[in-house]
Amino acid sequence: MNKKKIYSNWFLVPAVAIFLIFFIIPMVTSLFFSLTIWDLKDYTFVGLDNFKTFFGEHSLSISVKNTLIYAFSTSGLKVIIAFFIALFLTSKIRTKNFLRSLVFFPNLVSAIAIGIVFKALMHPSKGLINAVLGAIGIAGPNWLGDTNLALFSVIAVDVWKGVSISTVIFIAGISSIDSSYYEAASIDGATRWQTIRHIVIPLVRTSMNTIIILSLIGGLRCFDLIWAMTKGGPGFVTDVLASVVYKQYAAGFYGLSTAGNVIMFVLIALIAFPLQKFLNSREVYN
Amino acid sequence: MKKKSISLLLCTAMAASMLASSATVYAAEDEAGEKEWEYKEAELSFLIDPDTASAGYQAVFDLMEEKTGIHVEVELRSSGGDGDNQVKTRLASGDMTDLCGYNSGAKLGELNPEENFIDISGEAFAERLDETYKSAVSAGSDTAVYGVPLTATMSGAILYNKEVYEANGLEVPHTWDEFLENCKVIKEAGTDAVIASIGDSWTIQVPYLGDHYNVLAADPEFPAKFEAGEAKYADTPAGVESFQKLADLQEYFNEDYTATTYADACDKLINGEGAHYFILTQALSSIYELYGDEVNKIGLMGIPGDDPENHGLTVWEPTSVYGNANSDKKEDILRFMEFYTSDEALDAYTAALKPDGPYCIKGYELPEDAYDAVKEAQQYFDDEKICVALEFETAVKGTNCEYICSEVATGQSTAEEAAAAYDEDCKKQATQLGINWE
Repeated sequence: MNKKKIYSNWFLVPAVAIFLIFFIIPMVTSLFFSLTIWDLKDYTFVGLDNFKTFFGEHSLSISVKNTLIYAFSTSGLKVIIAFFIALFLTSKIRTKNFLRSLVFFPNLVSAIAIGIVFKALMHPSKGLINAVLGAIGIAGPNWLGDTNLALFSVIAVDVWKGVSISTVIFIAGISSIDSSYYEAASIDGATRWQTIRHIVIPLVRTSMNTIIILSLIGGLRCFDLIWAMTKGGPGFVTDVLASVVYKQYAAGFYGLSTAGNVIMFVLIALIAFPLQKFLNSREVYN
Repeated sequence: MKKKSISLLLCTAMAASMLASSATVYAAEDEAGEKEWEYKEAELSFLIDPDTASAGYQAVFDLMEEKTGIHVEVELRSSGGDGDNQVKTRLASGDMTDLCGYNSGAKLGELNPEENFIDISGEAFAERLDETYKSAVSAGSDTAVYGVPLTATMSGAILYNKEVYEANGLEVPHTWDEFLENCKVIKEAGTDAVIASIGDSWTIQVPYLGDHYNVLAADPEFPAKFEAGEAKYADTPAGVESFQKLADLQEYFNEDYTATTYADACDKLINGEGAHYFILTQALSSIYELYGDEVNKIGLMGIPGDDPENHGLTVWEPTSVYGNANSDKKEDILRFMEFYTSDEALDAYTAALKPDGPYCIKGYELPEDAYDAVKEAQQYFDDEKICVALEFETAVKGTNCEYICSEVATGQSTAEEAAAAYDEDCKKQATQLGINWE
């Protein structure tokens, strides 16, 4: 029976050991510590109290709502905007290469640096954005201070920063579509819009799914940009799961902070797995 | 012959050393009480936030290097919540500097001082610290003393621009209603009545924390009851009132208050763009470093309550320097602390940077040329109308305090909601840190 087996199972040991030590064990211990009050040395088992606190307290539970708004709107906007930029950049224009590098530029700067720069640009009285708006006679809003607007200001910056990587994926997807499809369509007399609707969109679905999943997970665990721009404020209006976890850790609430991480893990898993399955089922192969 | 010359040499050496030692004694007596410091080269690292004005402690460090050979390497960390995190992370990972600059009071208790810091209660120089200060760096123990004061005491007060007051013909108010009247007049004259700086969100706590004198005026037992879990902010009218004051102020804030930083706010105050700033008096030193004697344009008042006869001031114990118990330079750390609390060091400190309030070293007086605002604060001390802030009387200070205050100041929640949220926050803090507190 075993004759066909060329390699010994022992070859698996290094990989499994690394996976176990660096992934499985930390995950199981963090599940355990999320059920305790922990000061890094001693712990007291408290059952599900940390999770009750997390969902019961306004300053913590608001982060779940904000995270969902943040993840879905950045992901959605990135897909739509990147698709049209990619269409434009794959059409027959002269400065194509220059424009492609230009679009990719924001992605080369670290999120913290972008956050600090935009915080200055969005300053209500001294910021460049409101100065420009003021010059053309519009009273600019308080981008990061207005409690109804702050989260969306950060979302806008995240989209500006993240749209480039999505564009690159889309460009790759669109360029790989065989030109015979376009030829056939033009012989049939299809308009530009019909070509996009019936050829490009179905055939870039693989790229689109990758972008949706990547940007959604990125949005669900976003921290750096928010921390650099608002620190979750004013009050708690821009707090997301990651920033709340960080704050609990900073306060020395290690058990509660771990519980926040577990919630984040479960949330990402609950959204990402079914979504990927759904998206894959609708893919069309080239 | 050879033996003889050796013994002669030894004799000479002995006589010489005796002469030398008698000379030292003579020198020490000569300079009227000035101590002769042992000189031994050493290097200590010191971690501190950038919002504490540096000129004062730097002057002491320079003198210390000259006199004792201890060189102190200053390392800056973030201020506010981020800074707390850096300190805790470095303590937990064993990466703390030899000396750690951090708050006194309830926040010290969060750092697990029994394990992390050197207890200096047995040292002679600890005798010089005043009792209120000692209890603020004892982390709840009866005997332990963990730190020495880095600066003088501070107050949580309203700093105001006297020129704006003169231009509008205003008097210093003694009740909260009079204060709001003044704000109204200033606002109508086109100046920002109150400067707020949520850009550094810790600053927005001051109107609430500095109102503690008025809470005590209404109920002197409040801290004890709060500590025992018998009183809550939400069901203490004076406690809710503290948060209400933040809500009252909102309409008078500068337009860009959500983005204004502590440094911006100091500029606005001294330049007369804003009339009042609720802040710790460390702002006086921050202003003095940039604007010199213009700082005397600034006046000080405690946050007023309802009774004009009882207008008091809430006082903060200073930031302290703690010695890292896991450092291998314990001896040098103690030499540092002894020097830092000496009169010589305080003189050097005062020469470089004037104190933001009275010192907490027994018997050391404020200098003649102190800031006018500090002299005004001294008046509250002389009238005995002072109290220490709540965080120096209880073991718990809610970590979300600054964010809860931001919520009130931006109109997201009412004073009642904020008081209830703060009670919850304290409870969470106590549970999570294993403090026995309801």
